[in-house]
Amino acid sequence: MNSRKIINGLFMNATRLAFIFCAVVLVFLFGTIIWKGSAAISIEFLTQPTESFGASGGIVYQITGSILMIITTALITFPIALGTAIYRSEYLKNPRAQNIADTLIFSLNGIPSVIFGIFGLIFFVNILGTGVSWFVGSIILAMMILPTLVLCAYQSINSIPSIYRESALALGMTKWKVITTVLLPKGVNGAITGLLIGIARAIGETAPIMFIATAFSGVQFPSTLLQPVSALPTHILSLAQQATNPAALQNAWGTSLVLVFLVILFSLSGLLVRLRFKKNNI
Amino acid sequence: MSKSTAKIGKSYVLASTIISALIIVLVFIILVANSWQAVTEVGWNLFSLRWNAPSDEFGILSMCFGTAIVTLIALVLAVPLGILTAIFTSEMLPSKLRIPVKSLLELLAGIPSIIYGLIGIAFFAIWLQGFFQLQSGRTILTAGFLLAIMILPTIITLVDDALHNIPKQYHEASLGLGLYKYEIIKNTLLPIAKADIYGAILLAFGRALGETMAVMLVIGSIDKIPSPFFDVLSPGQTITSKLGREIAETSFGSVHFSAMIFMGLLLFSLVLVITLIAQRANKKRIRLYE
Amino acid sequence: MKFIFSLSLIAILLFSCTKKESINISGSTTVLPVISNAADAFKKAHPDVDIIVNAGGSGVGMNQLGEEKTDIGMISRDITDEEKTKYPNANFNVIAIGKDAVVAVVSSEIYDAGITELTIAQLASIYKGEVKNWKELGGPDKEILCVDKEASRGTRHVFMEIVLGDKEAEAPGADLVLGSNNEEQTAIVQSDAAIGMLSNAWLNDDVKGLNIKMSDSTSIEPTLANIINGTYPITRDLEIVTRGEPTGMIKQFIDFVLGAEGQNMVEEAGYVKINR
Repeated sequence: MNSRKIINGLFMNATRLAFIFCAVVLVFLFGTIIWKGSAAISIEFLTQPTESFGASGGIVYQITGSILMIITTALITFPIALGTAIYRSEYLKNPRAQNIADTLIFSLNGIPSVIFGIFGLIFFVNILGTGVSWFVGSIILAMMILPTLVLCAYQSINSIPSIYRESALALGMTKWKVITTVLLPKGVNGAITGLLIGIARAIGETAPIMFIATAFSGVQFPSTLLQPVSALPTHILSLAQQATNPAALQNAWGTSLVLVFLVILFSLSGLLVRLRFKKNNI
Repeated sequence: MSKSTAKIGKSYVLASTIISALIIVLVFIILVANSWQAVTEVGWNLFSLRWNAPSDEFGILSMCFGTAIVTLIALVLAVPLGILTAIFTSEMLPSKLRIPVKSLLELLAGIPSIIYGLIGIAFFAIWLQGFFQLQSGRTILTAGFLLAIMILPTIITLVDDALHNIPKQYHEASLGLGLYKYEIIKNTLLPIAKADIYGAILLAFGRALGETMAVMLVIGSIDKIPSPFFDVLSPGQTITSKLGREIAETSFGSVHFSAMIFMGLLLFSLVLVITLIAQRANKKRIRLYE
Repeated sequence: MKFIFSLSLIAILLFSCTKKESINISGSTTVLPVISNAADAFKKAHPDVDIIVNAGGSGVGMNQLGEEKTDIGMISRDITDEEKTKYPNANFNVIAIGKDAVVAVVSSEIYDAGITELTIAQLASIYKGEVKNWKELGGPDKEILCVDKEASRGTRHVFMEIVLGDKEAEAPGADLVLGSNNEEQTAIVQSDAAIGMLSNAWLNDDVKGLNIKMSDSTSIEPTLANIINGTYPITRDLEIVTRGEPTGMIKQFIDFVLGAEGQNMVEEAGYVKINR
């Protein structure tokens, strides 16, 4: 008997088992969310406000709150990330400065989301005195997803061969004009990819917004910048604390399904934009 | 066009970069400034085992222990499983299945953490309670399990990428030597991918350390180290869970608040160091996020 | 692209222009159901007022009120001395809107197995960790799952004041520390050997309230009648707090809660009206 062959067989089976286990977990997770969630979904659920701690009624203001916040987040991060990517690619030449900038910007990526929430609590709600505000929530989320956008935009700008820049300069264009006509369009594409990926993440985050941007009930569409909103993830949190109340639990699954749907929507869009961008690239 | 637009343009990109770079500095400064009170008033007692706010005892050791154990469980479960699965997807999966499978994995990575918390409290805790005949399914082990599932997609995706990007020549040379697949993987591929695999583990480690919502709902929130300390079937407390639950209850500017920020600062610093090490290792191929 | 960008910006700016009066309320999860329902009804009568209600617990309510982040705080306990000294300029004004009882609750399996009453001393021994198994109290042979609450919660303050003699007493026998009334109720239901502390309005088929056995051996049931006549030993006022005397919309809302409709909501929530 060939012991090498036996060991090989065992190992291969181990990997197959691992894969099957992961597949089962995946199916279980998605299956639960979809199956249990769809029981709660109805037109009323999606268009009515919440009642009795969330055990009845719908989640319309949670949906609008989440969407309002991430749209604002997008508007805030997009220009900053694009500008940073351009500067990093075209103006920052000193390797040491590049290193420092990279470290400072990308280390933001790993920071726990609850730390962002606490930062927002201290800096905005307390020091700047804004109170609980959905706009502050958007700012914090924008901070969280900034590195993702910067990276995507930077990668697409960087992938433009220098021949483009040199030809443009040879034609007599100023550096800034080169940027706006040649580099910016590509950069924007990359930034959009990063944006969609970042938003897919931001919309599901609870910890950054739960102390600084959301309220339990009574909020409809905010009329100022300094009001709280309701949001999907914090609503799930509130419902999860009533896990033995079947009506509340069902609504928790329904809300989860809506949230996962939005996450998938944005992720897929990001993927599609990236693929389309790749196709158009030379 | 001309000079003025260029000037505005240049200021815009410079300003953007400065803003981006300074965010993390600002966060750090705020954390340090707000921990100061606890450090000066509580001092070394911050590292005691007792946390009782009304009597001004702010020992964070139990929370640190909880964070460490929960993360350890998550890594012990997810790393071997993740690597084995990644070996499968990279080496044994037919190539036309690769894209759908990889996309599904990315989808799994995108499930928001609060939903994991919901699944934990609605299913996992109850299963564990029944399986181990416990009084309550809210335990350190439950949190560890949940975390393991959460970091699994990260590990699988990164290790899979690392293995799959190894040039074909290595495969072919090893095959030419008559090695079995297992031996190819163990002796050729894994050593080459080692740095990337370590990077992946570090990134997953960082994520597990910082996870709040899922852990907060299932860990039981008891500010004590279990006795005996390896009894993972009892409830405990992590830094993130404590912060998530209690920060709103503390009044801004009190020692209580400051002690909690100190915990946050510790966590922040640890995760920062890990992220930096991981990114240094991954310098050639920076990931999009995790 | 640019068009959408500018459109959204304009839309957001427009929002900042329309102003509605808003009242922020936060605090105790015990008082929350009443205030939440009252807010809904009040808004129907006054559509130009936004009433934003948040939970968090009595401690959070007082903090936010003191730090001027909310207009009304909801508490289910007394304001602590620390809170008064922390916010000396807040001029807290307390208004009682109802009464309820804090009940020692057990999982229905324990109740059905015979444990239907305990003395204060027995409750204390459970939370102190001296008694660990239901059989020591005449019940089934199961380990007690002792469910505690976060330290600043009103329900806990009131419970601990009576049971352990100190509203901020430590409970070494606690196995779980949870937050809102909902969460605590969930844990009691999920277990078959749990004990916890809840407002009487949270009792149901799976969460049974224990009678308190007094020193003269009378057994007091946690009913509304016993809250009204004062025999149940762990009762409290449910209160809302403002900074100074309430004026304007805030006063109107508070008057609403104290009025007939508001007090009906107090009863519907399972509590006792304040003016009997």
